Amino acid sequence: MAMAIDNAFEVDFSSYSTTTTTTTTTTTDDDLACTWNDWGSPVVDWDSLSSERDEFQDLIESMMDDGTGIELARVDHETSNSVSIDTMVADEESNREDFKGLRLVHLLMAAAEALTGANKSRELARVILVRLKELVSPNDGTNMERLAAYFTEALQGLLEGSGGGHGKHFITNGPHYHRDEHHQTDVLAAFQLLQDMSPYVKFGHFTANQAILEAVAHDRRIHIVDYDIMEGIQWASLMQALVSRKDGPPAPHLRITALSRSGSGRRSIGTIQETGRRLVAFAASIGQPFSFHQYRLDSDETFRPSAVKLVRGEALVINCMLHLPHFSYRAPDSVASFLTGAKTLDPRLVTLVEEEVGPIGDGGFVGRFMDSLHHYSAVYDSLEAGFPMQGRARALVERVFLGPRIAGSLTRIYRTRGEEESCPWSEWLAAVGFKPVNISFANHCQAKLLLGLFNDGYSVEELANNRLVLGWKSRRLLSASIWTSPDSDF
Amino acid sequence: MKLSSAKVPKESKGASPIDGHNYSLHSKRRSGRTTLPVQAAEQWSVAVDMHNTNSIQPQNSHTSTSRSSDSGEPCATGNKWASRLLRECARAISDKDSTKIHHLLWMLNELASPYGDCDQKLASYFLQALFCKATESGQRCYRTLTSVAEKSHSFDSARKLILKFQEVSPWTTFGHVAANGAILEALDGEAKLHIIDISNTLCTQWPTLLEALATRNDETPHLKLTVVVTANIVRSVMKEIRQRMEKFARLMGVPFEFNVISGPNHLGELTKEALGVLEDEAVAVNCIGALRRVAVEERGAVIQMFQSLGPKVVTVVEEEADFSSTRYDFVTCFEECLRFYTLYFEMLEESFAPTSNEKLMLERECSRSIVRVLACDEGEDSTAGECERREKGSQWSDRLKEAFSPVGFSDDVVDDVKALLKRYRAGWALAQPHQDETGLYLTWKDEAVVWASAWKP
Repeated sequence: MAMAIDNAFEVDFSSYSTTTTTTTTTTTDDDLACTWNDWGSPVVDWDSLSSERDEFQDLIESMMDDGTGIELARVDHETSNSVSIDTMVADEESNREDFKGLRLVHLLMAAAEALTGANKSRELARVILVRLKELVSPNDGTNMERLAAYFTEALQGLLEGSGGGHGKHFITNGPHYHRDEHHQTDVLAAFQLLQDMSPYVKFGHFTANQAILEAVAHDRRIHIVDYDIMEGIQWASLMQALVSRKDGPPAPHLRITALSRSGSGRRSIGTIQETGRRLVAFAASIGQPFSFHQYRLDSDETFRPSAVKLVRGEALVINCMLHLPHFSYRAPDSVASFLTGAKTLDPRLVTLVEEEVGPIGDGGFVGRFMDSLHHYSAVYDSLEAGFPMQGRARALVERVFLGPRIAGSLTRIYRTRGEEESCPWSEWLAAVGFKPVNISFANHCQAKLLLGLFNDGYSVEELANNRLVLGWKSRRLLSASIWTSPDSDF
Repeated sequence: MKLSSAKVPKESKGASPIDGHNYSLHSKRRSGRTTLPVQAAEQWSVAVDMHNTNSIQPQNSHTSTSRSSDSGEPCATGNKWASRLLRECARAISDKDSTKIHHLLWMLNELASPYGDCDQKLASYFLQALFCKATESGQRCYRTLTSVAEKSHSFDSARKLILKFQEVSPWTTFGHVAANGAILEALDGEAKLHIIDISNTLCTQWPTLLEALATRNDETPHLKLTVVVTANIVRSVMKEIRQRMEKFARLMGVPFEFNVISGPNHLGELTKEALGVLEDEAVAVNCIGALRRVAVEERGAVIQMFQSLGPKVVTVVEEEADFSSTRYDFVTCFEECLRFYTLYFEMLEESFAPTSNEKLMLERECSRSIVRVLACDEGEDSTAGECERREKGSQWSDRLKEAFSPVGFSDDVVDDVKALLKRYRAGWALAQPHQDETGLYLTWKDEAVVWASAWKP
């Protein structure tokens, strides 16, 4: 997986510091990249908000204070090697665990096969799941055991759902899945932990932001249409960068239109309005000219580009974050509608982040199920490698985010089995005519530096001129790609 | 490293069945730890290399969990997951599809338990037989099971078991009542009775008959009872049985003589002299669940032997299943075996309390028969009296007609049987034979399970 770029330029990561490094050729973009402060700060400094003090920070602080044992120590490069811990474990124990892990994999595969295979039998699937439930728990045990617990739960949901009833864990017809059951405290804490323990969120945000900054370097007005703004943290980072950019027109105006969905009375990380308020306040606090708009989608989530207010002279950016770990699953129709509509708006830039799946092949449900198992197994590994002792913290992230994601992923696979599986969105964009935009060297560097902060098991590959893929060991996990509209001459 | 090749194992014909070596899942150890044991999983999905194998036990160590059935109701039909997997495995063994065999045995092993619900139990006992068949270790397994059973067998435990079983189910008492009725009627008026009892019922049939003899007639006849024991397990307890029988007869005031013949290698070789049959005796031959233990090729000879004793009546009671005509067709025999034992297990499940020890022991006894029928080859080092290949009433009838003619059961006897069935839970019934059939059937949920018949010369 050696990147061509590594061969060409010897980049020294070991002595990285937060100050500017001059490892690259001279372009203004690189300077921008390397002057990002706050590499390590996972969350925007919400303290800089004005008087109204959010529950957000209070809750997180209280979680840390009340001795729940969650340690949020930042990862240092040196301590990121969890292999040393592995070697301390007796070989025998490791063997036994492997054996049990193998058993669980086979049971899961057998259950998936029973649910959907040629000789499908719900009865058999039910019995296998009963057996699995005896062997695993979502809170205890090894990574494999906890992972298997969530997959078991997900399969259980499919089993119950397909029978007509709606299990508690089953995803209903809507594009969302239920996180209602999670207390907001947990959600916030889990998000904080996710940020601290892994580069997934930052990789997506920073890669997109860097491309955006480069694309609008000479613009006065910037308009970003954000498909799924969530807590808005991506834009806090962008604003900081805009404010401190040296070249180009000073104080460029930033406008964000965030898509919101009706009927989402659930408490997740916060409502769109809250996010908007926070961003407005933050922008004010750093002197960034800013305005925030909400675009309310109907329940069928059809995106009508004509309803987006455009201003002449603004550089339009479409931001589409899809599969960051803390995101909800969005229905393919919704995404397609959005991207199709986006095309007619002739955007300067489209930033897309989505999960990277393995080759589809003809494996059917079982094949894709196993691929999903691989995928999340790598994610679990990546968390454990960086934070081997923080089992409870990881369990929280798993419970709040990864578990529901697994359920969502399986439901989606289950629904589309036998039909043509939807291809990755990046392929879709290329097929409908979007043109790729090169990922700059600086952007690529930035990604590598980011990963370097976490664990050397992470890797970033440039799979295409416009696409970076974050992976853990041999497994590719998250893809960030940059595009421009078919008619653009950007 | 992608697991994309790890689909469910496809059929790969031509590989020899799992040979005598034991085998297991062999997972290579790797240096770094990953959540997903990828390499080993890949190995699994490829056809198993038979040479690289260690041992796996058919029952693994998860015995502690006694899982109750999710549904909470007694098992309904037999067409559930266990029978499906078992039948698939039987077919795979017959097809010599080693990958599939391996996969199914593994899955059955995971899901089976002798302490779970019906499906789990059937899975467990049949898995053992399938495993033995696949590894050609049936004979060895059977020996082990038998010796274990013999060691733990005692008169008290056996007696308690039989009595409890008779208390909750007419499975055995049905045959006793029918046979006794036929014998009493056939030997009515005779002064010297000689009953040749070829069965392994520990004489639980006879107290009722003795009582009837004592109370029915003005003149109580003399009864000589010659018990021919063919099962090793029973031999050891005959001494105690003798004492009890003699005592009981004294109590009843019936002149009584008790003999035990044990250890004939071939029933067909018995003679009048060997059995002590005298000229002035009225002989009845009572054969309960013993004909099936005779090697299939020798059954004709045994019936000839019966004829040679000059009996006034022959009573035959057998369980209604056919493991004989299919004995060269593994899959068909397997399916019949599964059908029969599914009925049996379900019957046990509904008759006994859920946590009954006796039920467990009866189930365990089945394991020997199942292994014997499915995993042991004919004629392979077989000791006489261990065959276990049942035949249906119609098949026995064909054999018996060579030497005897059928006798219908009188209305009185039929009434006795009906009265007997009333004492048990719902589900039991009597079925009278159709046109060409003889005998009487005991049915459980409308399935014939036991056949009783009477014959005269």
